[in-house]
Amino acid sequence: MEDKNPTSETEPDAQTHKKHLAMLDRLANLHQTRSSTRNQSKPEPGSLSSFLSLFSSTKLSIESDLTRLLSSDSKPDPAVAKPDLDKISTSISDLERVLAQNSYFLPSYELRSSLKSISDLKGALEKASSELIPRKKFSFKNKSALRKDPAELFKQSEEKPQSDANLPTKEIKSSPGIRSKKGAVLVKNFRVLDEGNGEFTLSDLDSCEVYIKGRIRALFINRLTNCRVFCGPVLGSILIEEVRGCLFVLASHQIRIHQAKETDFYLRVRSRPIIEDCGGVRFGPYRFSYEGVDDELRESRLDEETGNWGNVDDFKWLRAVQSPNWCLIPEEEWVDTVNASELEENFDDC
Amino acid sequence: MGLLSIIRKIKRKEKEMRILMVGLDNSGKTTIVLRINGEDTSIISPTLGFNIKTIKYQKYSLNIWDVGGQKTIRSYWRNYFEQTDGLVWVVDSSDVRRLEDCRMELENLLKEERLSGASLLVFANKQDIQGALTPAEITKVLNLEALDKTRHWKLVGCSAYTGEGLLEGFDWLVQDIASRIYVLD
Repeated sequence: MEDKNPTSETEPDAQTHKKHLAMLDRLANLHQTRSSTRNQSKPEPGSLSSFLSLFSSTKLSIESDLTRLLSSDSKPDPAVAKPDLDKISTSISDLERVLAQNSYFLPSYELRSSLKSISDLKGALEKASSELIPRKKFSFKNKSALRKDPAELFKQSEEKPQSDANLPTKEIKSSPGIRSKKGAVLVKNFRVLDEGNGEFTLSDLDSCEVYIKGRIRALFINRLTNCRVFCGPVLGSILIEEVRGCLFVLASHQIRIHQAKETDFYLRVRSRPIIEDCGGVRFGPYRFSYEGVDDELRESRLDEETGNWGNVDDFKWLRAVQSPNWCLIPEEEWVDTVNASELEENFDDC
Repeated sequence: MGLLSIIRKIKRKEKEMRILMVGLDNSGKTTIVLRINGEDTSIISPTLGFNIKTIKYQKYSLNIWDVGGQKTIRSYWRNYFEQTDGLVWVVDSSDVRRLEDCRMELENLLKEERLSGASLLVFANKQDIQGALTPAEITKVLNLEALDKTRHWKLVGCSAYTGEGLLEGFDWLVQDIASRIYVLD
């Protein structure tokens, strides 16, 4: 074994050596072609010190240009100052581009401080232009920007009906749901119908009480005010948008809540519920029952109390400390479990 | 550029493909990725950031970037555009109300220069739900026929819940990318 080893190693060694030489050769060639084609003003890619010196010298020259403009005895004519300012602005954005190109090898401190210098330069330029170019020009600029907006808005509003017209009309009819009601008590029973394979929508309800018994696949809720909603298991997900002053009792695999204000949610949920753009929302455990609800929860794999009703993620508060937008409902304030066994369906035109 | 060409060569050797999955929240992106990878899909929380999965698919290795679709984090999608070979846009076919949002977000995405070479697979997901729009209807609403002629795209109806359609979609995507990138093999 020991005898074999040296011989078997020398051969690859020689090969490696050859390869090594070839590679060095290639690298040297590469280096040469690079340095010959290289633009003189550009730093060698990968070279930190040359980048830093280029950056600081460009920065200095921009700064001195700015001071020169500002310190000239008589205030220059705005028409004269404008091209100068534009030129400075261009060199700042050039510098920014060079930084971006080189950012991949910069240590994070250098990157940060360079970014800081650029934003400082931009700030100085802005200050200089507000001093050199009179206010009048400024308001004119604003106006022209404003004038643009309505045109764009108009364009958008022109586009919208078009795309709405594109929507097949079928969907508005066929999407089952309860819409645009005020002050009603609505009971929907999917248990007898055994059509729990579809989606269901609740939208534009005001001061209503809604009971949905049985299983459904997906639930969409939007624009509800002062409503109380009790719902059996939802196999897929629930999406809630724009609700205020409501109480929801829901069970689902996924729950997303957007733009809810002052609303209580009593949930049974397998994953973590999320909120986005919400305020004053509170959470407690599922409080709804009717004859057979336990079987339905089991069939939907929602029988287990995961405790996730209290593990809320707030997309507007990605920090370790508790979000100010939501809290748990104190146990003594939990509503009593609502039993809807006696309630008869009174809503079937959906 | 030296670094880029090295990366390209490595990618070529390992037959890697970078796939970016995006779409509105609640469209089923994470469920699709887990389903195609044969993982448990019964507990999936809304994605707070992103997930990366490397999946062996045929003779290729797919790096799938599944990026959360909540409104707040959509502006971060751009951070994932670089080097994308395939773009998967997932649509919740049962969410009729937000289809217009969906169309606008896709339109914005396709304007992105860094994605201009990427093959586009649109999944019309949740076909198993009664009342969901059909793939043909989704094609119409998203105005896909009007896409730039140079764009390679395909819309496939699917259900991440039953798994239907997923393989058909990924088969097309992988073939399309392979024919572009690995044309020499």
